[in-house]
Amino acid sequence: MDEYAKKIHQFYERHRRMPSFGELMRLWSYRTKSAVDYRVNKLIREGRIAKDKTGRLVPGNPEGTRVLGLIEAGFPSPAEEELLDVMSFDEYLTPNKESSYILKVKGDSMIEAGIHSGDMVIVERRAAYKPGQIVIASVDNEYTMKYLRKDKKGAHYLEAANKKYKSIYPRESFRVEAVVIAVVRKY
Amino acid sequence: MSWGDQVSYPRAILHIDGDAFFAACEVAKNPSLRGKPVVTGKERGIVSAATYEAKRLGIKRGVALSEVRKICPEAIILPSDYETYSLFSNRMYAIVRRYTSAVEEYSIDECFADLTGLRRTFRMSYAEIAQAIKRDLQRELGMTFSMGLSATKVLAKLGSKWEKPDGFTCIPLRDKEQFLAETPCIKVWGIGGNTAAYLEKHGIQTALQFANKNEAWVRRTVSKPYFELWQELNGEVALELDTKGRESYQSISKTKTFTPPSADGQFVFSQLSKNIENACIKARRWNLASGDIYFFLKTQDFRYRGMELRLSHPTNVPQDILRVVREHFPRIFRPGILYRATGVTLAKLRDAGSAQLDLFGSVLKTEGWKKVFESVDGLSRKYGKHAVFLGSSFTAMQFGTHLGERGDVPDRTRDPFRGETRRKRLAIPTLGSVS
Repeated sequence: MDEYAKKIHQFYERHRRMPSFGELMRLWSYRTKSAVDYRVNKLIREGRIAKDKTGRLVPGNPEGTRVLGLIEAGFPSPAEEELLDVMSFDEYLTPNKESSYILKVKGDSMIEAGIHSGDMVIVERRAAYKPGQIVIASVDNEYTMKYLRKDKKGAHYLEAANKKYKSIYPRESFRVEAVVIAVVRKY
Repeated sequence: MSWGDQVSYPRAILHIDGDAFFAACEVAKNPSLRGKPVVTGKERGIVSAATYEAKRLGIKRGVALSEVRKICPEAIILPSDYETYSLFSNRMYAIVRRYTSAVEEYSIDECFADLTGLRRTFRMSYAEIAQAIKRDLQRELGMTFSMGLSATKVLAKLGSKWEKPDGFTCIPLRDKEQFLAETPCIKVWGIGGNTAAYLEKHGIQTALQFANKNEAWVRRTVSKPYFELWQELNGEVALELDTKGRESYQSISKTKTFTPPSADGQFVFSQLSKNIENACIKARRWNLASGDIYFFLKTQDFRYRGMELRLSHPTNVPQDILRVVREHFPRIFRPGILYRATGVTLAKLRDAGSAQLDLFGSVLKTEGWKKVFESVDGLSRKYGKHAVFLGSSFTAMQFGTHLGERGDVPDRTRDPFRGETRRKRLAIPTLGSVS
């Protein structure tokens, strides 16, 4: 901003109005109003100030708002708040972290459920398990992964997802240890 | 809230203790071990933990494994899997923190929790809150815990020892005398053999007799830590929970035993070098540096020979330490003698940032190394510990710590998932394989 515009600006800040030509003469230390007029026209051409319909000076922007500075166009960088509603793979795969475990699948007894040999299954230890869930049960102290089913008499049994395997009707030691909540396979 | 409760639990402190924790972690991982005598510590040659089935056969902590095989040939002896134990330990803390943020992580298998004032929040009595914590822990971790609930840490700890395994003992202050009367002094947390003998000279055998002594007598007769125990036994909190955890270290030690023992100077030095590297890794993680180094060699017949060294300036760069250790190593190492362990201690640790400059500018050389080790630490974070190590540690790194059957490694490291590496595994316990 040049010296002249600056003085107008300071005047405006102090008095909340634009100066008259007489006041500008004093402000700029000019001797004649025509000299003031010359300088004013120049500033109008530069867009720094303007004249209203009656010929009085008004600030450069007719609405009276001040330009505070240029803003670079473009997309703002992602703000913290925008990332509050996303989760990590950890949270996604193990929502209950403290009760989650992994096991490595061996064999094809659950192949029709899409679980292959070598897959990782993520399981959760829970208070209760429901028929229809794929569960990890310990049968005779070995882990096995099967569908938990309930027969007509209300007795629980374990069913493979592969016709080659017979269902397991556990006799004495049968305990459901965990429920499968995800299968992870990396290639 | 009744008057009685206020009197019985001016504070409600819970002590939680994992039953035969390391061995229990092994059983939680592998159901075929259930109900069997299981022992951990194969790589150390002594029992670090034993299941209750093994304890019933007379196997105790610290017993040599050769002895275990004699007492109980069917015992299952496993190498320690500290990675899994730590994962389980962190889960224990996390589960307890669901109920209260005031948790002191006392050790890998023990913690204290302050439940004071939580009865309204949970609409449960203190004992019921404790039971709920126990239920969560046992269900989710697949092992048992013993707990004690009382008004102070010392009394709570007495409670958790009262009935084990799978016990829960409340010691409300109004009943504490019964418990203390049955407790010999030496069973009180913090009272050792010497103090117990000293108290006995004053005619004190039980914790109750000690607790009933008047304050003036206690102040006169025992030192401050035991005065605090006296206060705690009387239901007055003298030992607050340390909920902040470790903020720094006074000193860092790294010791490793290797088998078979060796008389090869180069091999023994590389073991020492590895320990120095590990101690420096830990020092850098805590941003500490030391100028006072102690290193030792332990012979096959358990004799120690060591040396204290002072550096010109504090450091956490292994080269600085190795330079002086290499110089003095021949004075400690005797040819023809078998060695079984090496160790190093970085003492008088101080903030690495505030380390002073020395007169002759060797610090400047270290500055360059510092940058190198910033990168080394970066590589370790990405690829796992010891992704890069010093040439002087090479022999030790190459052969592992133990040859022979003590060199057995936990299953977890043997059959990784695709994408896991030898150095980095998923931070979640694995239950082995399932068909």
